[in-house]
Amino acid sequence: MSDEAVRMTTNGASRSFSPAPLDRSRGLGDFVPAPDDDVLVCRCEEVTKGDIRRAVHDGMYTMTEVRRYLRVGMGLCQGQSCTKLVRRIMAAELGVSPAALDAETSRAPMRPVEMRVLGNEEAAGGADAR
Amino acid sequence: MNRHDLIVIGAGPSGLSAAIEAAHAGMDVVVFDENARPGGQLFKQIHKFFGSKEHHAKVRGFRIGDELLKEADAAGVRVELDSSVLGLYPDREVVVRHGDEVFHAKGDAVLVATGASENTLGFPGWTLPGVIGAGAAQTMMNLHGVRPGDRVLMLGSGNVGLVVGFQLLQAGCEVVGVVDAAPRVGGYGVHAAKLARCGVPFHLSHTIVSAEGTDHVTGVTIGEVDKSWQIVPGTEKHFDVDTICVAVGLSPMSQLLDMAGCDMVDDPRRGGLVPVCDESGATSVAGIFASGDVSGIEEASSAMIEGRISGAAIADYLGYLEHEGETRRVGELEGSLDALRQGMFAPKNRGTVPERTEEGCPVSMNLLEHGFLSDDEVLAYPGVTHAKGVHAVIECSQNIPCNPCQDACRKGCISIGENITSLPVVVGDAACVACGMCVASCPGQAIFLVDEGAGDGFATVTLPYEFLPVPTAGTRGRGLSRSGEEICDAVVESVRCVSAFDHTNLLTMRVPEDCAMRARFFRPSPADADEEAVS
Repeated sequence: MSDEAVRMTTNGASRSFSPAPLDRSRGLGDFVPAPDDDVLVCRCEEVTKGDIRRAVHDGMYTMTEVRRYLRVGMGLCQGQSCTKLVRRIMAAELGVSPAALDAETSRAPMRPVEMRVLGNEEAAGGADAR
Repeated sequence: MNRHDLIVIGAGPSGLSAAIEAAHAGMDVVVFDENARPGGQLFKQIHKFFGSKEHHAKVRGFRIGDELLKEADAAGVRVELDSSVLGLYPDREVVVRHGDEVFHAKGDAVLVATGASENTLGFPGWTLPGVIGAGAAQTMMNLHGVRPGDRVLMLGSGNVGLVVGFQLLQAGCEVVGVVDAAPRVGGYGVHAAKLARCGVPFHLSHTIVSAEGTDHVTGVTIGEVDKSWQIVPGTEKHFDVDTICVAVGLSPMSQLLDMAGCDMVDDPRRGGLVPVCDESGATSVAGIFASGDVSGIEEASSAMIEGRISGAAIADYLGYLEHEGETRRVGELEGSLDALRQGMFAPKNRGTVPERTEEGCPVSMNLLEHGFLSDDEVLAYPGVTHAKGVHAVIECSQNIPCNPCQDACRKGCISIGENITSLPVVVGDAACVACGMCVASCPGQAIFLVDEGAGDGFATVTLPYEFLPVPTAGTRGRGLSRSGEEICDAVVESVRCVSAFDHTNLLTMRVPEDCAMRARFFRPSPADADEEAVS
């Protein structure tokens, strides 16, 4: 990885850099409906391929934007199943390679946790069993 | 909050191997795993592994898992199950969910060995019940004893698709075909050949058009794809199936490393987003290591060695090992890992199709396009010779890192030599005693004992047979060719199984002389099969 491909994140650690932002001024042409637009892509949040394609035409050019716009990849599985598919669909719609899209942000909790569990933090000092 | 010398995340082959190595160096190690059982994917693997003796070759995966657990226990490794690591924070602090509470733990080093998850493919109907991952099929069959369906289509011809496809046959499913959008079989030819001779057709350059059904899968339509992966109209084929198995690759579960701020890179050859790390698995963040599939998709044997290397490197990093000792240990392990990464399927050769083997034999295009060696092609390999009396015929045509057959033969009939990827050679002047050890030891089930002239115009063929019910001597049936076509009548002469064969039955069938070099599988005739089932 080249030096310029590394940037500093907010917590001071370096991580892989997302590619240069896509040119938002260029036109994508009209949205053309496709026969498989109703295929579910993100089953956790029930987002279809057509939803994602339309979102691109609505101006969502990055993985981060489309996640916030549609909640795609933000459900129970946290995108473990659909992220590659979403990336591929977006790239095809934008006419770029999937690698030209930004990396999605990884954040805790990595697994679905009920709020009552998240709030049930063991007191400092910890159980003796551990 | 508790602190440990080393926190390992993931009790699969890599995580456990690292934990064992670190514990041997005297470190306090804890392993967190979100599953109810340790061992990761190892306990689903009922097939014999490839490699050499040091890689546990010819040992079935779940037995390797048992050995690993015993070793971890003896080394004093603590494995905390049902414990999901929710986040990896600065200064190597993890937050773990166990039951109804969350707790924190801190490690002087953290090894992330979270493995990978299965990729999906979004064809119309893919969310219907009956569309499952190949790993899910393995879990159902091999852990829970549940047959996933009756008629199955396998999507994906990589080793996962091929191995699971064969296990589906073993579980009693009908596999209607193996489909792959790529123009060539992705996995080992020997795995493909096992399926082909059972009559499973390969549909390369094909993908799924749609899965059909209202509340579950009742059928599937596939179609041929052109060079830009678009379906060619008019090439559609329909199959009645109740299950579609998807084996289209794995993605590293690397989010914890990304969250921790490790340098990451999107590397399609390694399966997706992976950490940038050195040979020991050290990431760009001090004290955080990664090993196994999370750092690049490979397989269990290399994951175990990577884990050992990381474990030794971490012990050295924290001052638990004399540096010289560590260097020696890592040197040995790296040699062993390097051996696994050689040959036609090595990570560095991914995506390339060689025209010739290392020995200069032509690579079989039939094998790559249809899953079996043609009757002419098979004669080109050094393991296939004609001889008087019983002799081994080794239909091993690709340079893969595997050599148990060489040690299996005590008579010196089989030679591979120093280079683990070399094709096995049948030594002309050595005398085969028909012990069958080579047949049972070949993880690719590619070795047969053939007596081309057994008398009265007949020949005998001994083949590895891992199906139930096991036919008995006298059972009548048909001899199948390498492509699974019924080519002759066949009668079972004997079925042998000793403990050294580890449940691989050696079935010897009697076939017409002209089928000696063509018949490679036995299918009992329906009447005889029914009798077997009753008795």
